[in-house]
Amino acid sequence: MDFPFLKEAVTGLFTKSSCAMYPAVPSEAAPNYRGRIVYHPDKCINCMLCERVCSGNAITHTIEKTDEGDKITRTFYLGSCTFCATCMDFCGHGAIEFTRDYHMIATKEEDLMVSGSFIKKPPVKKPVPPKPAAAPAAAPAPKAEEKDAEACKPDKPVEAPKAEAAPVAEVKPRDDGKPVQDPAKCVYCTLCAKKCPAGALTVDRAAKTWVLDEDICVGCGTCAEACPKKAILI
Amino acid sequence: MFKNLIKESTGKSPWLFHINAGSCNGCDIELVSVLTPRYDAERLGFKLTGSPRHADIVVVTGPVTAQSLDRVLRTISQVPEPRCIVTMGSCPQSGNVFRGSYAIAGPLSKYVHVDVDVAGCTPKPEAVIDGLALATKILAEKRGQME
Repeated sequence: MDFPFLKEAVTGLFTKSSCAMYPAVPSEAAPNYRGRIVYHPDKCINCMLCERVCSGNAITHTIEKTDEGDKITRTFYLGSCTFCATCMDFCGHGAIEFTRDYHMIATKEEDLMVSGSFIKKPPVKKPVPPKPAAAPAAAPAPKAEEKDAEACKPDKPVEAPKAEAAPVAEVKPRDDGKPVQDPAKCVYCTLCAKKCPAGALTVDRAAKTWVLDEDICVGCGTCAEACPKKAILI
Repeated sequence: MFKNLIKESTGKSPWLFHINAGSCNGCDIELVSVLTPRYDAERLGFKLTGSPRHADIVVVTGPVTAQSLDRVLRTISQVPEPRCIVTMGSCPQSGNVFRGSYAIAGPLSKYVHVDVDVAGCTPKPEAVIDGLALATKILAEKRGQME
């Protein structure tokens, strides 16, 4: 009688098992594994780019008014996350981090929520630099919002406006994803500067200048969205 | 004596039934890898069954599409009590990227009580084993309550 696999069957009894003995031997995820999200609210500037790029609508925020400013709580629902890390890639300030922790087991929905909150202080009102002609001209009936926008403008010397060479010249969007202004359409309403979460834009209504601080800008596109004249290309 | 034997052995070896409610097959493949020799959940007693009437744990993958909703609920209702429902991946918990689609009836927790959520897209097999271990504990609690 022939037993073709007898040798393998006997040796198999004494060799080590080839499976991953998981609960007994703990296993670590691969180096770039994208697991549980860690949120650093202290680095966040609330540009909301992560919420806009999230394909699973996993990121939400709530705003609570406090005495010190707006308390913004951002929540990541891991039960709706695809762990694509697009939010991390788009975050210019490194406020979102993916860890290698894959143990995301919950019996309640709250266990899968990762949240953090920070207080966004209102812009510091700096004294309006003395302007000979502009200030009285705008004085008669300025709206409260406009007043704020002018007041929060920093009083450093304004750089030369960028794309003001020829009003007829066509403005092309930049390659690096940062905004560019179309001077032909811009009415210098300062809405973009007010909406900018990073405070990278300085718009002067009187002098008709639009200056972008490229080091601060994260390219979130909030200014282009806020612009009523569609004068910002991104 | 036989009752004790059955009680002990059913507690140690929960049987799984897997429902695909419109999944992209990512989670299904991971569940198969849990059960096959690489991770071999059968050494821990988990066994895949072909019939919901034999199952203790129901593993649901997929965002519960409008087409599959009726079938999912009918299948789950055939699983005898005590049963434990485990959702695998983000889809049955929230709909994930399919959320808001006209073809999605989920999340599953709208229709049945979900005991364990295993998050991830897709979860690692280790996480699935952890989730199933937690489901076994919940199952033992439920069995204790029924007696």
